[in-house]
Amino acid sequence: MTREEFIAQVEREQEALRGFLLALCCGKKDDADDLAQDALVKAYLSSAGYQDMGRFRSWLFKIAHNTFLNHKASMRTMANIEDARTQFSSFSADSSFQHQDLYLALSTLPPKERSAITLFYLTGYSIKEIATITETSEDAVKKQLSRGRDKLREQLTIEN
Amino acid sequence: MEKDKALEELFQAQKPTFDDSADFMAALTKRLDAVEFIKQHQEATIHRYKMAMVAAFVVGIVSGGVTIAFLLSTPADVPLFTFDEQSEVLQWLSDNSRVIFATILALLMSLGIVSVINNVQEIVSKCKM
Repeated sequence: MTREEFIAQVEREQEALRGFLLALCCGKKDDADDLAQDALVKAYLSSAGYQDMGRFRSWLFKIAHNTFLNHKASMRTMANIEDARTQFSSFSADSSFQHQDLYLALSTLPPKERSAITLFYLTGYSIKEIATITETSEDAVKKQLSRGRDKLREQLTIEN
Repeated sequence: MEKDKALEELFQAQKPTFDDSADFMAALTKRLDAVEFIKQHQEATIHRYKMAMVAAFVVGIVSGGVTIAFLLSTPADVPLFTFDEQSEVLQWLSDNSRVIFATILALLMSLGIVSVINNVQEIVSKCKM
């Protein structure tokens, strides 16, 4: 894949990628965009080995997911919901209150559950595709989705 | 596995839109330019390392061949070097000149091999980064 082809593909997919990372970063746009840039640079560096089979988006999401997990591992701290509340108070005005509710609820999920839930509900991937992107088994994805869904429901009920 | 309709609607209703796509792509292009620059620099460095290794290899082969030819061309019972002054140490050096020469040569070759291996490891680790 040439640089021009890569950029053309990224232009088509960047919004979906940024949306995915924005949800994973619980609405922190700057963090999400930094991760998106890092993931895209990684993708560019390994684009020579990429064989176009119409799965550019899921390939990008896989790299983005790994970049996010590495970032979380390097941070070594899981922000709890109170931290998230503090952070949201200084958010840019483009985050609606409803968005904040969802992001707050997402912030209570462990990274892997958050990824599975986001890929399932936001981007509409199937369990099989999520298992490929996150490099886990379909059973593990099902468990993550089930646990994540229950926690989200609980959190969103409390919030409302 | 069935989707939770309420959650799905919530996610879909809150799909973010970005009005700074041009800025994002411009920033990415800048990063890719920097990556290209670093890649070219690394490739040039690797090329230089390769050339240096080839040169070292050729020099090693030639000097090794010359040394072996020299050793073979001299009589086995004649020392490689002698000293005008007579002392026990110098006499011992003269008597064992072939062994000493071979040991020094072996040490230099070992150092050369270790150096080449280190360079190769360095190049491999740089390529993995």
